[in-house]
Amino acid sequence: MTQPAKPNGTTGAALVMGAGIAGMQTALDLAESGFYVYLVEKSPSIGGVMARLDKTFPTNDCAMCILSPKLVECGRHLNIETLTNAEVLSIDGEPGRFRVKVVQHSPYIDRSRCTGCGDCEKACPVSVTNEYEGGLIQRKAVFRPFPQAYPNAFTIQKAERPGCQVSCPAGVHAQGYVALVRDGKFNEAVNLVKRHNPLPGICGRVCHHPCEAGCRRGVLDEPVAICQLKRFIADYENQHPDAGLLPVPSEPRSERVAIVGSGPAGLTAAHFLALDGYQVTIFEALPVAGGMLAVGIPPYRLPKDILNTEIAAIQRLGVEIRTNTALGRDFDLSDLKEQGYRAVFLALGAHRDQKLNIPGEDAGGVLSGVEFLRDFNLGRQVQVGQHVVIIGGGNVAIDAARTARRLGSQSVTIAYRRSRQEMPAAAHEVEAALAEGIGIEFLSAPVEVLTRDGRVHALRCQRMELGPPDASGRRRPVPVPGSEYVIPADIVIAAIGQVPETDFLAQGETKSLVGRWNLLDADRDTLATPIPGVFAGGDAVTGPDTVIEAIAAGRRAAESICRYLQGVDLRGDRDFSRPELTVGKIPLAQATQGRQPMPELPVDARLESFVEVELGFSTEQAVAEAGRCLDCGICAECLECERACKAKAVVHDMTETERELEVGAVVLSPGFEASDASRLFPLGYGRFRNVVTSVEFERILSASGPYEGHVVRPSDHRVPKRIAFIQCAGSRDLKTGAGYCSSVCCMYAIKEAVIAKEHSTEELDITIFYMDMRAYGKDFEKYYLRARDEHGVKFVRARVYDVSETPPGNLLLSYAAEEGTVEKGEFDLVVLSVGLQPSRDLVQLASATGLAMDEYGYLRPSGPEPVSTSHPGIFVSGAAASPKDIPETVVEASAAAAAAAEVLSPQRWKLVKEKEYPPERPVQNRRPRIGVFVCHCGINIGGVVRVPEVVEYARGLPNVVYAEENLYTCSQDTQDRIKELIAQHDLNRVVVASCSPRTHEPLFQQTIREGGLNPYLFEMANIRDQCSWVHMHEPGPATAKSKDLVRMAVAKARLIEPLYRTPVPVTQRALVIGGGVAGITAALGFARQGFQTYLVEREERLGGRLRRLAFTLEGDDVGALLRRLEMELRSHPLVEVYTSANIESIEGFVGNFRTRLGLGNGAAIELEHGAVVVATGGTERTPTEYLYGQDDRVVTLTQLERMLAQDPGPVAVDQVKSVVMIGCVGSREAGHQYCSRVCCSQLMKNALLLKEGHPGAEVVVLYRDIRTYGLKEDAYRKARELGVTFIRYDEQNKPVLEAGPDGIQVVTYDPVLGGHVVIAADLVALAAGVEPAPGARQVAQTLKVPLNEDGFFLEAHVKLRPVDFATDGVFVAGICHAPKTVRESMAQALAAVGRAVTVIARDSIDAGGPVAGVSQARCSGCKTCEEVCQYQAIKVDPDKKKATVESALCKGCGSCAATCRCGAITLKGFTDEQILAEVVALS
Amino acid sequence: MSVMEAQGTAIRRLDPRFKYRVAARPGGENIKACFACGVCTAGCPVAEIDEAYNPRRIIRQVLLGLEEEVLTSDLLWLCTTCFTCYAHCPQDVKFTDIMGVLRQMAVEQGYVHPTFVGRLEAMDELCQRLRRDMALVLLKEKTQAGEFDAARVWPQVAR
Repeated sequence: MTQPAKPNGTTGAALVMGAGIAGMQTALDLAESGFYVYLVEKSPSIGGVMARLDKTFPTNDCAMCILSPKLVECGRHLNIETLTNAEVLSIDGEPGRFRVKVVQHSPYIDRSRCTGCGDCEKACPVSVTNEYEGGLIQRKAVFRPFPQAYPNAFTIQKAERPGCQVSCPAGVHAQGYVALVRDGKFNEAVNLVKRHNPLPGICGRVCHHPCEAGCRRGVLDEPVAICQLKRFIADYENQHPDAGLLPVPSEPRSERVAIVGSGPAGLTAAHFLALDGYQVTIFEALPVAGGMLAVGIPPYRLPKDILNTEIAAIQRLGVEIRTNTALGRDFDLSDLKEQGYRAVFLALGAHRDQKLNIPGEDAGGVLSGVEFLRDFNLGRQVQVGQHVVIIGGGNVAIDAARTARRLGSQSVTIAYRRSRQEMPAAAHEVEAALAEGIGIEFLSAPVEVLTRDGRVHALRCQRMELGPPDASGRRRPVPVPGSEYVIPADIVIAAIGQVPETDFLAQGETKSLVGRWNLLDADRDTLATPIPGVFAGGDAVTGPDTVIEAIAAGRRAAESICRYLQGVDLRGDRDFSRPELTVGKIPLAQATQGRQPMPELPVDARLESFVEVELGFSTEQAVAEAGRCLDCGICAECLECERACKAKAVVHDMTETERELEVGAVVLSPGFEASDASRLFPLGYGRFRNVVTSVEFERILSASGPYEGHVVRPSDHRVPKRIAFIQCAGSRDLKTGAGYCSSVCCMYAIKEAVIAKEHSTEELDITIFYMDMRAYGKDFEKYYLRARDEHGVKFVRARVYDVSETPPGNLLLSYAAEEGTVEKGEFDLVVLSVGLQPSRDLVQLASATGLAMDEYGYLRPSGPEPVSTSHPGIFVSGAAASPKDIPETVVEASAAAAAAAEVLSPQRWKLVKEKEYPPERPVQNRRPRIGVFVCHCGINIGGVVRVPEVVEYARGLPNVVYAEENLYTCSQDTQDRIKELIAQHDLNRVVVASCSPRTHEPLFQQTIREGGLNPYLFEMANIRDQCSWVHMHEPGPATAKSKDLVRMAVAKARLIEPLYRTPVPVTQRALVIGGGVAGITAALGFARQGFQTYLVEREERLGGRLRRLAFTLEGDDVGALLRRLEMELRSHPLVEVYTSANIESIEGFVGNFRTRLGLGNGAAIELEHGAVVVATGGTERTPTEYLYGQDDRVVTLTQLERMLAQDPGPVAVDQVKSVVMIGCVGSREAGHQYCSRVCCSQLMKNALLLKEGHPGAEVVVLYRDIRTYGLKEDAYRKARELGVTFIRYDEQNKPVLEAGPDGIQVVTYDPVLGGHVVIAADLVALAAGVEPAPGARQVAQTLKVPLNEDGFFLEAHVKLRPVDFATDGVFVAGICHAPKTVRESMAQALAAVGRAVTVIARDSIDAGGPVAGVSQARCSGCKTCEEVCQYQAIKVDPDKKKATVESALCKGCGSCAATCRCGAITLKGFTDEQILAEVVALS
Repeated sequence: MSVMEAQGTAIRRLDPRFKYRVAARPGGENIKACFACGVCTAGCPVAEIDEAYNPRRIIRQVLLGLEEEVLTSDLLWLCTTCFTCYAHCPQDVKFTDIMGVLRQMAVEQGYVHPTFVGRLEAMDELCQRLRRDMALVLLKEKTQAGEFDAARVWPQVAR
């Protein structure tokens, strides 16, 4: 649906490219903020890389479990149009009005019809590498990437047309039937052949099989024996006919068609015309049907019963064959017209031999090859001599020779004027002839037939030699003078080519039909002759050619005749071109294996009869031979999926479509690609089976992965005892072009190590080889330490040099320990922590669109504006801008939504559609009719709990009218199914037994609402967490417990009632707490989208930490940035700034907050707003170590930065000759057990400023780990290149400082040197670390939002809700959340805006539902409830002495209900009766 | 007690200037890029037979300015210039070239006499010849016997 642009302006739609977690989040935020979104994804499903992960750090949540609800939410959002298999081709235009060209590649399956049932997948015979499973297992050519994929539809993967199919003149789907043979589907295979060729048994014997010449396997060893496989399936069908697979003719039609000639062309045309319902008659001059097949080919090659069977099959379609009826003798074309034939196909063949044109040719005993074979085949008397000489080198010559030999001739000699290489006869025929004792005189041409008594007695021949090539491309034979010789012969057979017999047509009205060389004249494409309604094809048109060419012509003629009879243009959209043969790659790992040997009749036995020589493959041979196919086309076009699909969704000739979309803004979030591990040759990937990438290892760990969560190694599926992780595989490596750090590998490696340890039942030894441990994110350091100290993961600081293999598949790593010894370590499995690289598609698109990229291909923002690109209105988020983890990606995604919304805001709510629900089915006073759905969750539940047993049990529970099991109850198809079943069984309560209501309850509630039920008529039993997970080794008790939980849920479901939510108006204004860079950015973000904003700052001046910094590592001038932001802020009419202000209280709830602000001197004002952003910032820690505060020459990095920015400091910085910087001062230590993230960057920044501004100054950095994550690694390298010296120190062995009059002596131990060094410093700068600002704790109390143990605010979910609080309408940004850089703070601030706008963009929100209610009659006004309520949702009226609940604030926690002594408070959805019912059900 | 005493004996004073002098020479340009990953050492065939030989440590000595310690070290002359470190270095430090620079400096500063360098080169050539000849012996043996049998070949080589 393309939206027209609004005149003079903006379009209220956005395009998001890439539907990984970033794209999905951006799309959801934009759609919830009132804009229409096109979500364009290249792969068949949304979800991106996160869908492939097992668990996520630092919480070890199951990645799919937290992603899956988002997939569904995004997929079924009314205002998100998802285009999968789609790519962005170009972006033109300007902010507000972009035109984006999108191509949607064909999935070959109609998405609107596909139900995701998987029947096609079961039918598909082609297996290919499953890239979703890291190539560890195979999948079918028709596939769905993963079970929870959205859209829940299949896709067929096709490569270029396979060579066999392209090479076949008739276009037979050769790869298709080969694949079906491999699958043992022999009848299906022959049926597929018949779609193009009705004569498989014949072609399986006599075809010259150009398919095999096109077979790519021939490049490797030998082509697949395609022809013999065709013979095998045809023979199989004869012995095992399957009536169910026979082709069925269409409705009979009245038109009659005459076919002259019953050879392969005529038979084929008749077959297809009859299938189309036409009345077909074949006129055959000879006494038998079959043309050359019957009278040209001897029975030892093509037994008569094979021929007759296939002709009979065509006759069974209603084709009449009149033999002994010759055109020109018994009838002519006008007779046919008179008899009512509406069209004629002339398939006369070429049955007249060419003359030798030498003396003596007419003597007795000189025969023509065709005549000889015809007479023999018709059972007529044939002349047989003792010495037979045959002239010619084609198949007729060979056939005549072998026939003569069988008829008893003593010597049979073939004289051929060229060499063996030029011989047109099939090579295996020539070999068979030689084996049967037939002599071949090469380079020998007949000169004269020598006669005696009018009969031949010898043949005079002349030797030839080969000259230059002639028109046929073969070398022309040239006579050798004086080389004549004589071969004795009593029979000479001339077989030098045939012409059609058309003399009788070459006169009168049909004169125009005959062209030169007696050939019929017909259009080479449509086969139409100059006479309307008359078509011609086969040998009569082309001259003698192959059987398969004649078949191709017959099929083409049938199509033309159909069109002619139905008045359709003969050409129309028909494609007559023969596709080019493409040369594809053969996988390196493909082993060679020759073709199956064809069993043959022994030579002795052959010569005694005309029994077939080739005996055909056995079933085992056929299957083995078909197994040699390389599946070049991937999809084999066997059409089995088409047959299997009940929904008729398969469309093999579907083409790609191109669309131009009009949008106001574009967000690019194409994600990343894992770096190509095979390029890291020394590390052995691709060479050794047990070297896997981290992505593959995720799949090995995953319960839904190829090994079902059992940690085994690929080569022998043994459980590894020792696993090594090699970090920086493809990162921090100029050799691979990736000089940067990939940011995420350290943490995912630790996570995978911990999970692997948890999975393994035996002792598992894991070592991570790393250079710097980059645990720089929130709570990462603690995760790292837990892995090391609690889980026993070993960490070795070394970059691995290479990996070699030692039997049996073990791996030997070599590396240098830090102290210098060269070590070898043996492991069972090696995991390469592969890095991230920009997606290649993005690089292409960015070049086409003119977007500036960095040298690596990242869309690195050039300025401080978050998520910006070089083109206004086009934004970037996630790993396309730089390598980053999931939370940062999600932050940028929401930020990109906010940035795009700034452009789109004039058109908010203009293009969106509203959800319309069906009316709710009345349930009051009706008997409960409960439906129970029990989820297998793949094997998550079903692998332990016996789900069918639970379903059966549920069926027997009271009021349960329906129960079933689902592979995934949360998948899209099951959602649709639940809705159908509600109607079908008149369900009025639904129970799902699956996973956690925390993640999945909203999804199911929405589903039943769409199905017409109130969403609260829903109950959930968590049989995954509470049964299959905690009792994973006890299937029996786990099943019993599942039944208990289901019984309890059903008992409660009987008593549940509908609950309703009512709209509460929203104050469409925002409050931002904190006037640092995050707060300012957030305030401006709201204002730019048109929302009134209050910005509150404790201090007198705005700017926060920004005022103490001078530069950023990225090169931003912080002072200028602050001035610019402040100016915009001060001048913006929608922003009110309060400095020196103090939050006294915040009352209210999402959409309706009232904040009391103290302005000093006792003055206060009250502000009303709908959302809050907390951005209280952080401060630099004040060091207590390293002489700080005792010696002026010891400063913090921030102080140094001010000095470098020309602010006077204790030491004149331009006089400084030697600076020592010390990292991790007070960070990553007891009491401060987190990484302050920014210090390494700050350290690089100041080192660079020093070296660039004061080249004479020496800088030494003492560090524990260098944590210049992502593209910041460039700065680390630059610092080294400028001469900054880096020396590592241990936490246990810190540097020691001694102040002296001339400077400070710093002594430190250098582990590489293996000794101490002393450095004379004029200045020591300490990376002092970051702490939350002092006001944070008070704000946390006022807002009732949590802090973590380090005093930073705790977000709702560290992975997928990084800027939300659990409290609705309250968001977090900047350092108060965790240490971060200026740019990161700005991005998070914008993200908070993006999220908050989803609240304040609406004029109302819904409140109520499962909240507390007070019985006024019972309430005694004791106020206990007021005291226990965490959310200030319940208040006692002092006058009435009665409690009331603010339903928009109530979280339904139940504290009040539990403490109420009078029993006055009831929690809706959790009434005493309902809870008791559960308890009773359990007891 | 001063820190110097507290730390014991072998304390070396850092001299930042030496690395710039090495970097100023052709071949020495990239020395400062080293991030001490140790791949040079792990892959070094000399380090495999002599634990004292440690390319990463030599680079570190240069970066710390331990000029005399580096230039007087016997280890300086053990490099076979096989370029394995050079080929594998992720930071393109080109250690083989740096070895050339350091040897040159050692000669210039008189720590080693130029004739020694000549002798070393002659020895290298001899080693190359020896290796080639030994390989040919092995090959000959292989051709004759059809299969490689080191135990049988070795006495012939040793002779």
